[in-house]
Amino acid sequence: MSVDAVKHAIPLVAVVSAVPLLVEAVEGALAGMAEVRSFPAGSGDTAGFLRFLKPDAVVVDSLEEAQQAISFARGAGATLVHVSLPDQRLRLLRAGGWIEYVNGSASPERLRSALAAGLLGKARSS
Amino acid sequence: MRPTTVVVADSGPIFRSGVRHLLTREGEFAVTEAEDFMGLARLLESEQPDIALVDDELPPAGGVAAVAQLAPRAGTQLIVWSFAPSGQSVLAAIGAGAKGYLHKSISPMGLIRSLRGVVNGEAPLARDLATLMVAAVHELEQRDRVRERAVVLSAREREVLALVARGARNREIAEELSISEFTVKRHLQNILHKLDLPSRRAAALFYRSAFGVERVTTTGGTR
Repeated sequence: MSVDAVKHAIPLVAVVSAVPLLVEAVEGALAGMAEVRSFPAGSGDTAGFLRFLKPDAVVVDSLEEAQQAISFARGAGATLVHVSLPDQRLRLLRAGGWIEYVNGSASPERLRSALAAGLLGKARSS
Repeated sequence: MRPTTVVVADSGPIFRSGVRHLLTREGEFAVTEAEDFMGLARLLESEQPDIALVDDELPPAGGVAAVAQLAPRAGTQLIVWSFAPSGQSVLAAIGAGAKGYLHKSISPMGLIRSLRGVVNGEAPLARDLATLMVAAVHELEQRDRVRERAVVLSAREREVLALVARGARNREIAEELSISEFTVKRHLQNILHKLDLPSRRAAALFYRSAFGVERVTTTGGTR
């Protein structure tokens, strides 16, 4: 099996977050569907870091990190999810715009379906 | 060994699921969830868990109100946590009966260590939160001292001072209290003398620090 095949067999999700427990929520939502790696928010060059890491999906928990991750997500066709835990909002970048889920709809199930749909779509297209 | 039972009381389902995932994976905790005060109260009654992690903004009235109601009759150790703790919020939670206070941005290992500490009788409180709490206690003491100084004022002088603190001019104070401007000036002189303050501005600051009144413009808005 080639390195690329291995890469696609186990999708990579990067969680750039100021709240480490968000990583636990993402891991729980994906239930082994992908490898989840966490990175602290506020490091400064999230866009460059994502271009280097090339994850299949990105989860962020602040507007600033979302802004930085947009260009990577659009260029790489990666799923981008912005979860605001204090506001209980979940936004999904799709077709160039944000789809927003609030209150009860910002749920672990929604997080799972948003990430899973993106990961499956990316796997099919590659 | 019996697992430590933990209730996660939080209106955010994604945050709850993160905490549940972490604690369940550790194996030494059994986790249940509540999304509001009623759910928490029911679980404390029926399950009598060892620990409850209570969101500072738990619906409908907040974590501190929930703790104040539940702490006296619960054997559960109630820990409040928040995304943006302040000295006042920590102080209020502890005063209401919380066993400790945590940042919701705590690391997974930090949370595990804190919960193990609670089981061993410790009170979890991050160092920065302890500092915030001490500062809040000092602020309260300072406010009490300032209020004690205000006891020497007559009822009318306090009314005048309250209006000065809100930014009112002498003419406006006179109109508001149906007295002459001359009388207002005399009250102000007495206030400065009794409180040993150098100026009208100092008197206004004194009142605001004691009673927390915001300055108001003459058109009614706050500055």
